[in-house]
Amino acid sequence: MEQTTIWQHISNFFEGTVFVYGVSMLLMYAVLAVLSFISIRMFQKKASYADYTKILGSSLAPGISVIAPAFNEGVTIISNVRSLLTLNYPKFEVIIINDGSTDDTLQKMISEFEMVEVEFAYNEKIVSQPVKRIFKSTNRAYEKLMVIDKVNGKSKADASNAGINAAAFDYFLCTDVDCIIEKDTLLRMIKPFMDEEAKKTKEMGEPCPECGYRHVIEDSRRVIATGATLRIANSCEIDEGVITRVRPPRKWLPRFQEMEYIRAYVLGKMGWSFINCVPNVSGGLGLFDKEIAIKAGGYDHKSFGEDMDLVTRMCSYMRNNKLKYAIRYIPTTQCWTEGPPNMKVFSRQRTRWGRGLFQIMAIHKKIIFNPRYGRLGLVVFPYNLFFEFLAPIIEGMGILYYLYIIVTGQINWPFAKILLLFVFTYSVMITTLAVLWDQITYRHYKTWREVLGLCLMAFLEPFIYHPLIVVFALRGYFFFITNRKHVWGNMQRQGFGKKPQAV
Amino acid sequence: MLLLEAFFAPFFRRYFYYFDSYPLVIQIAIFLTVVAIVSTVIAYASILYRRYRGSRHDKKIARINPLLDEILTESIILNDDLAEGKPVEEIPLPLEKFDRPRFKTPFARQAIIERLIHYRKNFSGDIGLLLRKLYIELGLEKESFGKLKSFKWDRKVKSLIELTAMDMSIADVNILPLTNSKNRELRAEARHAYIKLSKNEPFKFFDVVSEPLLMWDQLELFKIITTTKDISIPNFARWVTYSSNKSVVAFCLKLIVHYNQQEAVPSIIKLLDNKDHYLRSNAINALGKLKADEAEDKLVQIYSSQPLDCQLEILKAIGRMGTGKNLTFLRQEFLRSSDFDIRKNAAKSIISHKQHSEEMLGELLDTATAENKLILKHCMNPLIKY
Amino acid sequence: MTGANKEYKILLIEDDEIMLKVTERILLKEGFKVIVAQNGKEALQKVEEKDYDMVITDLMMPYANGFEIISKIKGDSYGANIPIIIVSSLGNEDSIMEGFRLGVDDFLKKPIMAGELLIRVKRLLARKL
Repeated sequence: MEQTTIWQHISNFFEGTVFVYGVSMLLMYAVLAVLSFISIRMFQKKASYADYTKILGSSLAPGISVIAPAFNEGVTIISNVRSLLTLNYPKFEVIIINDGSTDDTLQKMISEFEMVEVEFAYNEKIVSQPVKRIFKSTNRAYEKLMVIDKVNGKSKADASNAGINAAAFDYFLCTDVDCIIEKDTLLRMIKPFMDEEAKKTKEMGEPCPECGYRHVIEDSRRVIATGATLRIANSCEIDEGVITRVRPPRKWLPRFQEMEYIRAYVLGKMGWSFINCVPNVSGGLGLFDKEIAIKAGGYDHKSFGEDMDLVTRMCSYMRNNKLKYAIRYIPTTQCWTEGPPNMKVFSRQRTRWGRGLFQIMAIHKKIIFNPRYGRLGLVVFPYNLFFEFLAPIIEGMGILYYLYIIVTGQINWPFAKILLLFVFTYSVMITTLAVLWDQITYRHYKTWREVLGLCLMAFLEPFIYHPLIVVFALRGYFFFITNRKHVWGNMQRQGFGKKPQAV
Repeated sequence: MLLLEAFFAPFFRRYFYYFDSYPLVIQIAIFLTVVAIVSTVIAYASILYRRYRGSRHDKKIARINPLLDEILTESIILNDDLAEGKPVEEIPLPLEKFDRPRFKTPFARQAIIERLIHYRKNFSGDIGLLLRKLYIELGLEKESFGKLKSFKWDRKVKSLIELTAMDMSIADVNILPLTNSKNRELRAEARHAYIKLSKNEPFKFFDVVSEPLLMWDQLELFKIITTTKDISIPNFARWVTYSSNKSVVAFCLKLIVHYNQQEAVPSIIKLLDNKDHYLRSNAINALGKLKADEAEDKLVQIYSSQPLDCQLEILKAIGRMGTGKNLTFLRQEFLRSSDFDIRKNAAKSIISHKQHSEEMLGELLDTATAENKLILKHCMNPLIKY
Repeated sequence: MTGANKEYKILLIEDDEIMLKVTERILLKEGFKVIVAQNGKEALQKVEEKDYDMVITDLMMPYANGFEIISKIKGDSYGANIPIIIVSSLGNEDSIMEGFRLGVDDFLKKPIMAGELLIRVKRLLARKL
């Protein structure tokens, strides 16, 4: 008898917690939807008159180093490098890191772009696997290009670090050589950096007893990173590294991903950007302040979520040094990336993401709820802990609990159905709103049928796609706890099923 | 909670006869389900509507623009009178070609304005003037001025952009209040317009502006100042000396370099005592680019007490001045410092001395450590730019 | 004058559609023959065909940028002495220097004066003779 009451308490408590959790999660989404709408409207208003071409003719434009690691990309390397060289920007360089490819990636670049080895004074500010050689072109037309040949570091992080070390300019754009970047990307992404006031200082406190002067500290909010929306390139028509027709993926798995990306970037990141709480700048495309990235220690090659890890460390560096910072997102799509086309690669990718998230929570646990870290500690990390990291666990437990009460016949079917219907319609609403926000930003796709085809995926998501993500994330957590060696080595980048791009 | 119940329960009672008996949670869930369904439907409707409206807009533009291009090419770009060198004011424009219903709608008039601006971005000179004349004779400036009266700030900004693109003058009474607007975007744009269009004292606002100029503002202002014809360029040293706004000072330094205002050098040298190291490094940079070698000794003198960014700028400046007086200083820094960037910039500056430093370079190459030798070779390699 | 220009073929490379059409018309009116290319890929094809006396090119285009096209032209015995004018909205020092190092003859920054373009074209063609 007594045992039943204890069980009753536990079950009441569990139901109560899950209920509060669920409600706050739905509330978060609603808030994000509103915030992202405001910031997209704001962006649209400015975009209606902003003239990015003004940067083109200006000698005041800051230089940008475009950093793109390549591993066994022989098939597409030439057209992709060429497409990076045709970006619209007055002052930039392109640094390709050949991360110990075993195919002809390097030879192809050397012969196509007339490259020779140069004696380059490489300064290893961030430690990476050794750099073997550095190449520059003898042809003046390719003087923006630099190729670094390094020992394979088994990660994109390690390769990117070598690129950052060799970069000449104050800002660097981190991308993948197989990503297709829209030509105005640099112009659009540098704008948020220029929309904050220029560097300035102020005097602090009483005169210093040693030197007799008041100490000078930095006093300007510095944008340390910007990001933009990414989309899936799988069914787009691509001609020599130039997108000629944007189309939602035909196959269902990549199409779910496209929907997920739109929701995560246009609704999620834009909402966070509005309150300066962006948790992560995607590894596929991000523009960073090099000085801060180096001071934060660059990418961690041991991390499974190296992009979020770097952003977190950059933010905590700023907080530790009492500097004001901002991370901004723009809603326009600037980058198309090949999404995992099949279940095998997809499960690998998501398991890795899950593992990466756990790792970041573990490494940076001191930030969580730490008021010293400001919004990073009080908003970004708690959100990530509860609604990103714990979500799969709680959902998993919830499903088990549901099964339990079904089996024991305790379920109140009418109420359960009503609640399920509610969660279902709510998730469809959020996704549909995300697609609408995206359409407000830019009218992607040629026909309304394609847009509807994407929207309708929202109805299937809770049954097909979402459970997969939960399972893979849990698998990632399990791997992290059991510290299983990641057996796939370089496959996480190569794994995108490098098929020759359709002409 | 009670309040919620009091609010929701009667609302639903009408539709669900047993609604009252549900727990509050379920009642809210039902209510929100309805909200979600309605929002989803609205979202679908707006997606379809937006796409429809957008494609109609595109179609309209696609109809108007070719007609417009034809007329503009024929009667403006390839204008015979223009080719013969007739003054722009005397060239008659074929306004009758615009005299059809298709060009009369507000939509079309806006499309014409945007097309004209696009043409003016590509063509200046007489063609640009003739395009402006067309804009005026079609009365399109009324559209632009009309937007200035709008209550929406983004419409006002658009208006200012159109008017500046067309070089229309705006009365001071209309524009000066906008330069103090609470909206940052509008304020900035109004200032740009003021500098470009004001005939008297375009730089007046440098005296009054108290908040910082953003990098973007500086870029736009720089472009406007350096490309607007018949703007009288003042001696920017005035603001370097007297302005308390650091971003204005930094910006004026760039203008001084652009216009090579040697007379500003003494006031820049005074900035070397400023406490703000960013401003100091900007000043050192400007001195180098002006090749102000009278400051060289002072730079070497203050070198050791400077933070890294200023030290690097000093090394660069000495290289730019290229007098050869301080080659030994550069050499000493190159050999002494453990900082990579200092050695690299010292090396670059030694090399940029060309024949002055040939001997020293040879000696350094022979005796330097492996890493230093690599730095020298890096800097000497013409294939490596930075 | 018009008659004398007839034999000259000008390769015009520009990715802005209006600018391309308008410049083409300006050159046609002066009696030149004009071959147009709207992006880097088309431009490289036209360069391969080796049938032009002068090149006017933009810098930023999809597929291949202007610098690359110029170096292709200059790297070939046919194109080595062909005069080249850059017409671009890029106007920073780096880009201009890069152009001249590649051996172009003139650099015009947008917005351009049509008259100026024509004078430069004619002057360069006269020098070529």
